[in-house]
Amino acid sequence: MTSKTQTTSDLFENDSEKFKMIAEDVTISYGDIPAVKNVNMKFKEKSVTALIGPSGCGKTTFLRCLNRMHDMTKNAKVEGKVMIDGIDLYSKEIDPIYHRRKVGMVFQKPNPFPTMSIFDNVTAGLRLNGVKDKRILNEIVEDTLKMAYLWDEVKSDLKKPAVELSGGQQQRLCIARALAIQPEVLLMDEPASALDPIATQKIEETITELKKEFTIIIVTHNMQQAVRVSDYTGFMYLGDLIEFRHTKKLFTDPKNDLTAKYVQGQFG
Amino acid sequence: MSSLEKRQEYRALFKQNVQKRLIVDKIVRIIIISCVIAAIIPLGSILVEVFKNGIAAISIEFLTEIPGSVGSGTGGVGPAIQGTLIVVGLASLIGVPIGVMSGIFLSEYGDNRLARSVRFFNDVFMEFPSIVLGIFAFLVIVLVLGHFSVWAGAFALSLIMFPIVARTTEESLKMVPITYREAGTALGLRKWVVTMRIVIAAAKEGMVTGVMLAVARIGGETAPLIMTILGSSLFFANMNTPMDALPLRIWRLSMLPYESAQLQGWGAALVLIFIILGINLGVRTLVLHKKETMQILKTLKEKVGGKN
Amino acid sequence: MTRLIDPSLEKLSAIMNEMGNTAIDCISLAIDSYFEGKNTTDEVHDLSDSISTKYFEVEDLIFDMLLKYQPVADDFRLIRSSTEISYAFSRFGRYAYDITQVRELFGDISECDNESLIVISNKVKHMIREAVHSFAELDIRKATHIQDDEAYIDKIYEERLPQLIKSDNTKCALAEALVLRYLERIGDHAVFMSDAINYIVTGKHKPSQKRIDAHTNY
Repeated sequence: MTSKTQTTSDLFENDSEKFKMIAEDVTISYGDIPAVKNVNMKFKEKSVTALIGPSGCGKTTFLRCLNRMHDMTKNAKVEGKVMIDGIDLYSKEIDPIYHRRKVGMVFQKPNPFPTMSIFDNVTAGLRLNGVKDKRILNEIVEDTLKMAYLWDEVKSDLKKPAVELSGGQQQRLCIARALAIQPEVLLMDEPASALDPIATQKIEETITELKKEFTIIIVTHNMQQAVRVSDYTGFMYLGDLIEFRHTKKLFTDPKNDLTAKYVQGQFG
Repeated sequence: MSSLEKRQEYRALFKQNVQKRLIVDKIVRIIIISCVIAAIIPLGSILVEVFKNGIAAISIEFLTEIPGSVGSGTGGVGPAIQGTLIVVGLASLIGVPIGVMSGIFLSEYGDNRLARSVRFFNDVFMEFPSIVLGIFAFLVIVLVLGHFSVWAGAFALSLIMFPIVARTTEESLKMVPITYREAGTALGLRKWVVTMRIVIAAAKEGMVTGVMLAVARIGGETAPLIMTILGSSLFFANMNTPMDALPLRIWRLSMLPYESAQLQGWGAALVLIFIILGINLGVRTLVLHKKETMQILKTLKEKVGGKN
Repeated sequence: MTRLIDPSLEKLSAIMNEMGNTAIDCISLAIDSYFEGKNTTDEVHDLSDSISTKYFEVEDLIFDMLLKYQPVADDFRLIRSSTEISYAFSRFGRYAYDITQVRELFGDISECDNESLIVISNKVKHMIREAVHSFAELDIRKATHIQDDEAYIDKIYEERLPQLIKSDNTKCALAEALVLRYLERIGDHAVFMSDAINYIVTGKHKPSQKRIDAHTNY
């Protein structure tokens, strides 16, 4: 085992497969304090990548830079490149709104819009962008709710206020809402951490289905979840990417001391 | 072994404290309830007084006719009702949009020095005595135009209104958790869309309450109206003449030594209270319970249609 | 900081070490008494039984840990290999008992030519000691040697069997064939054990000198 950190280029050196998203030398700082330091990651098409690490290691900060959510934060500075299909999200010519539609996001606590019904929530990203065709909206609602494993439970009453659903259902609704804008990459920030075990299981089933079509990047505290759900795992610590490998390898035979310590619960 | 004894010791201690605390709890509860009652009694008694004294004056004549000669006991407060509705309505038309826009600016785009100064001045403005604002309107409009007018009255009242609306709008918007804005942004929506379609929808109740508070406040303002619309005994003619309003009329009537005038004054006060209440309930129902209202209107329409 | 899983891991190591030492004693006793003509069937049987009981105990403990702690990385590999290793120990005990049974069945075998048997049995005793030591210390330097020893035993085994077919003394030939078989199997399990230990340390199932060097910081 080594204390050397590893980049994804080590892992994917001989791979000619397509990468949906590539993060190159990403450094994110709040004011003068760097939260993410020089991280390089490559995400394969139609795969699930998990980001693990102790609290404050920068994994959520990194995830949020992948769809430029840091534009909302006042003194956040992002350096480096984030490329989707070869185009750098952070280049001056790119309208962040356009690429945010390529990258959807699901948050930790389910946050369906409280004043809207289930139907309106799912179509929010479309309607509020001018899509009015009722037929298309209906199609998309059915399609995304089915993908999120929620259709059967709500199809009888789509006009019900979204806040009347249970926590697990709300989160699946948020997944459907994110999918409705037809993204290609889906970012998930601890999507099941606020849910009970059965709801968690459903979310994990959803992710496993979705990866047939989308590229998914998920931040999780739950290592067993990472093992169950992801193909690749990246371990971050204090802003650095320490190790990035095939999930099974990382959890059965981690190469870095720090990784081994963390996954075996020897931290703190 | 010794720690077990210590625990018994501690437990015995707690039992005592609990009994004392239950008594204190009861006492505090009684104090709180009596305070609430003490607060409600004056409010209740005002309503009762006004109702008691004013109900006798209410009649169709009272509500629709111009005031009769002084002390005669005839006539009504028709123009005053009309004036109140017009001036309050106009003031709202000016004050509410400005106030709401300022509130949105302060809440959503307000993390800079400009916003901080605006907020400060807004708070100061809210505390201005309304008579000062009335004088200001007098100087700016009445003196300049050369006559008292409804414009001036609406202007003065809007000055009172918009700081309140701005503040309450800002607070209501701030209460909406940031996670909804994040969700909207993550969907690729532009900031103004997120603000207008998502945040405001969630803050609706608070905003409406704020506007209603402001309307109730200006509905009862007298001093600014004295300097701007002056008062009159005629119905509305045009925007550039003096106009009557209920607070003014109440004031005038209460100064007269005649009992009939006093009675009319009470009646006018009752009418004013009902108008404010009515506006409040009406707007609330329309804005907040649109769905239920639509349902009720639909059933009514069907019933009426069916009858015919 | 003591993790929840640590007491269980310690218990696992303790039981496995006991099993290992008992296995060494058990095999040595069985082999020695075979050549010395002593009847130690009961003693060997008891020793083998105690290993067997511990084997079930270890299996229970392993599945308990999997259920409760969902271990990963080093813990995971240790627990996974422990199934193989404890099984190997239980087999050592069983084969030791089988060897004493041969003696009991066939009676006096002092007239037989036990030369190759003695060579192989010494090799086997050495292998087992190395394997048990290797597990106790998680020391994989001897892994390739154990592989060589096992290859040597296989060679002798394959050479000797055809010779036994041509033998005149049926009793000796059969006894020797049976014992050879048991010893060869013990050798196999010792190699499986060594591979399992290698997995714990390197994460790979088959040892190679390169990997052994990489994982040894002595």
